[in-house]
Amino acid sequence: MELSKFSVGNEGREVFWNAENFEGLLFAFTAIAMAIFAYGIYRRWQMWTAIGKPEVRNDQIKERIKLLLKNGLFQIKTFRDIYPGIMHGLIFFGFIGLMFGAAFDATEFHVGEPYGFPFLIGKFYLVFSFLMEVLGLFVLAGVFMALDRRYITKPERLGYKGEPDNTPDDAIVLLLLGGIILTGFVIEALRIHVTNPPWEVWSFVGYTLAKAFAGVDNNTARIIHKVMWWTHTFMALGFIAYIPYSRLVHMITTPANHFMASLKPVGNIEPIRDFETAESFGAGQLEDFTWKQVFDSDACTRCGRCQDGCPAYLSGKALSPKKVVQDLKTYWLERAPLIAAAKKAAGKAAEGAAPEMPAATKAMVGEVIDLHELWACTNCMYCMEHCSSSIEHVPKIVNMRQYKVLTEADFAPELQLTYRNMENNSNPWGVGSHLRADWAKELGVKTLAEDPNVEYLFYVGCSGSFDERGKKVSVAFAKILQTAGVSFGILGTEEGCCGDSAMRGGNEYLSQTLMQTNIEVMNGYGVKKIICTCPHGYNTLKKDYPHFGGNYEVYHHTEIIANLIAAGKISLKKPVDGMFTYHDSCFLGRYNNIYDQPRKILAAVPGMKLAEMDRKLDKSFCCGAGGARMWMEEHDGERINNMRTDQAIDVNATNIAVACPFCLTMLTDGIKAREKEEKMASLDIAEVVWRAMGLEEEKPSADVCAPTE
Amino acid sequence: MNIVACVKQVPDTEAAIKVKPDGSGIEEAGIKWVMNPYDEFGVEEALKLKEKFGGDVTIVSVGPARALETIRTALAMGADKGIHINDPALEGADAYNIAAALAAAIKGIPHDIIFCGQRAIDDDAGQVGSVLAEFLGIPQVTFVTKLDVEGASIKVIRPIEGAQLLIQSSLPCVVTAQKGLNEPRYASLPGIMKAKKKPVDVKDAAGLGVTVAPKAKIAKTLPPPARPPGKIICGEEPAEKARELAKLLREEAKVI
Ligand SMILES: Cc1cc2nc3c(=O)[nH]c(=O)nc-3n(C[C@H](O)[C@H](O)[C@H](O)COP(=O)(O)OP(=O)(O)OC[C@H]3O[C@@H](n4cnc5c(N)ncnc54)[C@H](O)[C@@H]3O)c2cc1C
Ligand code: SF4
Ligand code: SF4
Repeated sequence: MELSKFSVGNEGREVFWNAENFEGLLFAFTAIAMAIFAYGIYRRWQMWTAIGKPEVRNDQIKERIKLLLKNGLFQIKTFRDIYPGIMHGLIFFGFIGLMFGAAFDATEFHVGEPYGFPFLIGKFYLVFSFLMEVLGLFVLAGVFMALDRRYITKPERLGYKGEPDNTPDDAIVLLLLGGIILTGFVIEALRIHVTNPPWEVWSFVGYTLAKAFAGVDNNTARIIHKVMWWTHTFMALGFIAYIPYSRLVHMITTPANHFMASLKPVGNIEPIRDFETAESFGAGQLEDFTWKQVFDSDACTRCGRCQDGCPAYLSGKALSPKKVVQDLKTYWLERAPLIAAAKKAAGKAAEGAAPEMPAATKAMVGEVIDLHELWACTNCMYCMEHCSSSIEHVPKIVNMRQYKVLTEADFAPELQLTYRNMENNSNPWGVGSHLRADWAKELGVKTLAEDPNVEYLFYVGCSGSFDERGKKVSVAFAKILQTAGVSFGILGTEEGCCGDSAMRGGNEYLSQTLMQTNIEVMNGYGVKKIICTCPHGYNTLKKDYPHFGGNYEVYHHTEIIANLIAAGKISLKKPVDGMFTYHDSCFLGRYNNIYDQPRKILAAVPGMKLAEMDRKLDKSFCCGAGGARMWMEEHDGERINNMRTDQAIDVNATNIAVACPFCLTMLTDGIKAREKEEKMASLDIAEVVWRAMGLEEEKPSADVCAPTE
Repeated sequence: MNIVACVKQVPDTEAAIKVKPDGSGIEEAGIKWVMNPYDEFGVEEALKLKEKFGGDVTIVSVGPARALETIRTALAMGADKGIHINDPALEGADAYNIAAALAAAIKGIPHDIIFCGQRAIDDDAGQVGSVLAEFLGIPQVTFVTKLDVEGASIKVIRPIEGAQLLIQSSLPCVVTAQKGLNEPRYASLPGIMKAKKKPVDVKDAAGLGVTVAPKAKIAKTLPPPARPPGKIICGEEPAEKARELAKLLREEAKVI
């Protein structure tokens, strides 16, 4: 081919320059690479389909495609963490662009030129060349950032307890990526060095690099070029072949996982439906998970985002959500080939014969996943919210807890006591259930038994009914409602525990009993709208009760108060003192996206000074009480509530405003542990609002020895 | 080793106890009934022995229909079968008659060890175990916090004030369980489901050949007197407050 056909206005280059008689070889190698790739995917497919119960994850296709585009193509979840997001974005978008570029080249060569309509010429060629250079630099920059993170800066999240969890393929993949780009640039430089067209200044990297070859004669340059070209080609083909056998498999599994992400409400735990005939409950082995729960771990990229905000991990406990996923994956890599082989063998054997499955050689719960890890989880949802692969950790953890609690009845004695208390008195403390409505005695709040014709049921919950601090919140909120003229009632002693702690602590049987008891009472009164002051009750009434025929409009008190303020039904006129900070409850924030209302309410309080903690909103740090942790001893590491209190102290807060009775207890304890009770307090938003309404003289704590007149 | 555990259904410790206006007992409406906590220790120990030595664990309870729930709780923990002695004549009977009924039921089944709680938390009597042993003519070891089987005998620990007794007894024997003996297990869900299908024999006094003839009767049940309000001693100086406290303890409370 003649170079001369490229002139000014007709810029371009000879695709596959200096590569005579290459096609046969290239096609052969490509075929080999593709075959290795296909075989790997086939093996992987067998492993993906080997283990797990059925579950539908291909419904609502439109929603799923949206998720795929959003998180797979546009990398939204990945970008939520800016630096690693950019790092991955540079490689991801750079590579996709370059692949299109390579496809253009190939089309030009195989279609455009032979059929007489070359399109990689002229201005388009120049822009194309320029873009390819930029994208190449993107990938290189991304690779260097990644090398720096993995091998030099080594952030905690890329390891476990200070030990990096790098594997050889991390390095191989980065070297392949970097190598492909670097050799690409060298090939280009050599071509430019030999052919020297003036417009190649647009291929600015190759053009600059070509100067480095200034002293090399053309023949030598052609030889080096050829060697480099094949190196480049082998690396690119190797990369493709390597995908199913390395971390690169995430190029397939991660977008697939985004597509198959749960479309159920955040935190949904699928109820157990068969208690009567099942022999085992929850997940004791991989086979007890659904196929999607098993597939999840193959989508994990070990990015460590989940670990970065996990309160259990950060407080020095054994649990790391990343480690849980990786340990399950390792176990799956062990088990899946055996089971796949057994299924295949059974398929060949006589029809109808039940396949004989290889027996598990270790306990998944207890050996693969340590019990300290299992029970450290607060169900705070940080991991799931921030996982860049849409992995669902929390349901797996709850399923494994179900196995320990329901099937084996082997779990912490203090939690056993809690469950007995719930069984006997429908509250975790075991306080006599007849005392449930005592907090309301002097308020004139009616029960639905007395007057069922009210707009809202105020579902008070256990903390609001029995806990000393919680009762004060219930009183403050009831007074707010009364002042605003809201029509509401309570269930009184007919109310029972909501079941959230029992459910998240693995006692699905108890939680369903509790839920059904409440639903019977609520449906009996024809309840339609419910207000909760506890985010745990709120979340479970809203999302779990519908599983059992309890369909209500459920509101959190911060939603109601925010509306009352906006509608002018209550006015806040009495200024508050001190510096406030707002602690986002996990079950309100990450579970229900309620971030604004509490802040709006606080902002409406006269004199409010509000400082935000570093970990806030969707990155808020759990108080340590979710997932039944409220009822368990915290033996390992630092106390989570103390750490959260320290974060509030760091922003000089004197008041930690909360919207959850568990957070209230935890942070009040944290303030005590840090010996700050003279200077600091934790208050529920309802208490802050009731004070600011200024309708009640604040009583100084009664001085019993004051002279009586 | 065949073991019998006697369990009594009692009101939950947190239940609001209201005495009937006529003093004939307590109001049962709204009461949550549970297994006597000391009996749970007995059941747990029985299950542990079964796990170690094999054999059957039989649960025996005297009580009205609702007592069946408590028998099922013990079966859910892992016991094998139940005997439910349900006879209106035994309602509110004294320890002598309860023990007579229990003894009649237990005589008919193999028993190496019989567990009772050290007392039932409803009327806090602590007699049934002892009377039962007398009826059966076998030894009894009470308030047991540790139990080891050695051949055909058992060695147990019984705490007394400031010391512990190590007691050896031949078998069969009645053991009354005290807190500290063990941590009763939480029933597994398969256990709860299986318990529904385990056999429970229902018997009455006549069927057991027992004539109910109370030797003691509860004449009247009275609520405890309302607690008088506490007193807070005020004053500037600790010494002054201490003087006042001593004076009140001597003159008003008459305790020193
Ligand atoms: C130290 C002591 C002090 C006493 N003090 C008094 C006193 O001050 N005033 C007074 O009036 N009486 C007193 N008594 C007597 C007592 O009140 C009566 O004997 C009483 O009726 C016993 O019945 P109980 O239900 O409390 O059984 P308990 O003897 O307390 O029960 C012990 C165990 O026997 C078994 N058991 C009991 N009932 C059943 C049942 N229905 N089914 C199966 N198993 C059962 C259970 O294992 C239970 O844990 C005292 C007795 C003792 C030993
Ligand atoms: S839910 Fe929270 S505590 Fe549990 S593993 Fe995830 S981040 Fe950690
Ligand atoms: S589970 Fe998700 S967030 Fe955690 S390391 Fe794996 S991919 Fe990253």
